[in-house]
Amino acid sequence: MAYLLQRLLIEAAARQPQRPAVASDGCLLTYQELDRLSNKVARALLRLGVTPGDRVGILAPKSAAAIIGVYGALKAGACYVPLDPKAPAGRLGHIVRDSGTVVIVADEARTSQAAALAGGVPGPRGVVVASVPGPGLEEAAVAPAQGAAIVPWTAVAEESAEPLAEELSIETDLAYILYTSGSTGTPKGVMISHRNSLTFVEWAAAAAGLSEQDRVCSPAPLHFDLSVFDIFATCQAAACVAVLPDGAATFPVSIAKWLEAERISVWYSVPSVLTLLACYGSLQQFDLSRLRTVIFAGEVFPPKHLARLMAELPRCRYLNWYGPTETNVCTAFEVPAGGADAGPAPIGKACANTEVFAVTSEGRRVSRPGEVGELYVRGPSLMRGYWGQSAKTSEALVPNPFRAEYDELVYRTGDLVTLEPTGDYAYLGRRDSMVKVRGYRVELGEVEATLYRHPAIREAVVLPVPDELLGSRLRAVVTAAGASNLTHENVLDHCRQWLPGYMVPDIIEFREALPRTSTGKVDRAGLAQEQHELEPAGDGRRNTH
Amino acid sequence: METVINDYISRELVQDPALLPLANETSLMESGILDSLTLLRLVVFLEKRFGITMGDADLLPENFASVNTICAYVRAREPGKREAAHG
Repeated sequence: MAYLLQRLLIEAAARQPQRPAVASDGCLLTYQELDRLSNKVARALLRLGVTPGDRVGILAPKSAAAIIGVYGALKAGACYVPLDPKAPAGRLGHIVRDSGTVVIVADEARTSQAAALAGGVPGPRGVVVASVPGPGLEEAAVAPAQGAAIVPWTAVAEESAEPLAEELSIETDLAYILYTSGSTGTPKGVMISHRNSLTFVEWAAAAAGLSEQDRVCSPAPLHFDLSVFDIFATCQAAACVAVLPDGAATFPVSIAKWLEAERISVWYSVPSVLTLLACYGSLQQFDLSRLRTVIFAGEVFPPKHLARLMAELPRCRYLNWYGPTETNVCTAFEVPAGGADAGPAPIGKACANTEVFAVTSEGRRVSRPGEVGELYVRGPSLMRGYWGQSAKTSEALVPNPFRAEYDELVYRTGDLVTLEPTGDYAYLGRRDSMVKVRGYRVELGEVEATLYRHPAIREAVVLPVPDELLGSRLRAVVTAAGASNLTHENVLDHCRQWLPGYMVPDIIEFREALPRTSTGKVDRAGLAQEQHELEPAGDGRRNTH
Repeated sequence: METVINDYISRELVQDPALLPLANETSLMESGILDSLTLLRLVVFLEKRFGITMGDADLLPENFASVNTICAYVRAREPGKREAAHG
């Protein structure tokens, strides 16, 4: 049997055709329905000339329609590229062009946005609308833009729902490309093959103990790799993905209420969402007895808030997963009861089928507790590389420094870790200027490069401001070119044209000149120090909880 | 107070310029202005600007429905004498 992500769906539909697969916005799809609807989308894509290996964009928030689109693209032998509907048009245009996306699958509400995107750059030849049967939105007539055909849901629904005659991909083909922040100013596409993804998915379904009884939720959007867990690992177990509606996601109390109403049993998110739930969710008011496993990844969970969450929901398992998009999750740690009192949870030990090791600055392998080194990862979960960026790929994927006899490549994470006496690794920090904002990776260089594109900005430095709830906030220090009257609004508007919300600086400071070190470089350490003096560490306001 | 809060939201939180100018009764949820990230920034701003402290019972959709409801909420929570001073 082929080792392909779409096989998870085909087999779940054969085993459990009537079990719920996706619960989203009051609509419930069974595995049989998801399987058959995605066959229709696959056929619509093939009819538009999609061939194996082609990139298919998915422009939709996580929803039944988006998941139908994802499986439709995979069944057509294509590689899907999530396009965040909330990202600025400039960034989406870049991703569509860079990836060579040939068709965009959109939900009904985003047909016009998809048409504009497809028509705005050379390459895409059409938009396919994915939806669920029933009274959908009124399909507005969308004018085809510059040769990009619009295939409305009424036409997709006419396609046959029967299985495709054969698999159109093999396990080393790309399954998806996830764009993440790039240090030189443009996002870079992490290429993940079916085999890379399934290595994680199979381990994750087993590690979380998923069964067809589970109702799984991850609020992470499709372009964030946490979504691989709920879309695919859930399917492996024939469990149900429940999609947190946008309206409920904003308020912690609404999330808690929804968790109760939807009887969610497994939750996977970045820690900041869980911190909000612990601090503001009024969890005691709700019956969350169905929730049995809470998984978090993407950033360090402040121990104070983890301890509070564990006290509020004492019967859950708490799993800390670690892994850059480039490797999928590669280490894991189960936080024991009372474990959050001892400081941040370690990132743990390597997952099944994966090995990790740390290399000291002298190039030795970390072998004793307390030694510090950069974490390296090897195994079948590693990405194939960065799309179209061989130089960047060869900086990240390098020969195994200790096993020259193997021709495999290992991944340098850039994360500094130390070994604990238990054999677990603990995360210490970055060796470069990547920071996390709510679990999202932000390369400070990308924000700086965006600021430099503003004609009235002469110099720009972006610094992270530690924030307990967000991970980091971003502070930009800029100097104006000449006598221009650069305003706060100018700078923000400019950033918003190019950057997603989590990358837009929270604080913008104007200076006559930037401070310099004796070698003439911008004095980042000095700027960071003054911010330390301006804002006392810890930002006391949250300590009342 | 409406102006202060409207200005802050318009300047700092609105991503889509098509939503500006922002009316005080516009739904911050339906327009997509508030999400879990922007809500948090707004809370920090309100706490600092108006000297109030928000607990878990306060982060409710009804308090943050629009600029008007935020003002009503803040007025109810503000240290009392300020209202008299503002008339």
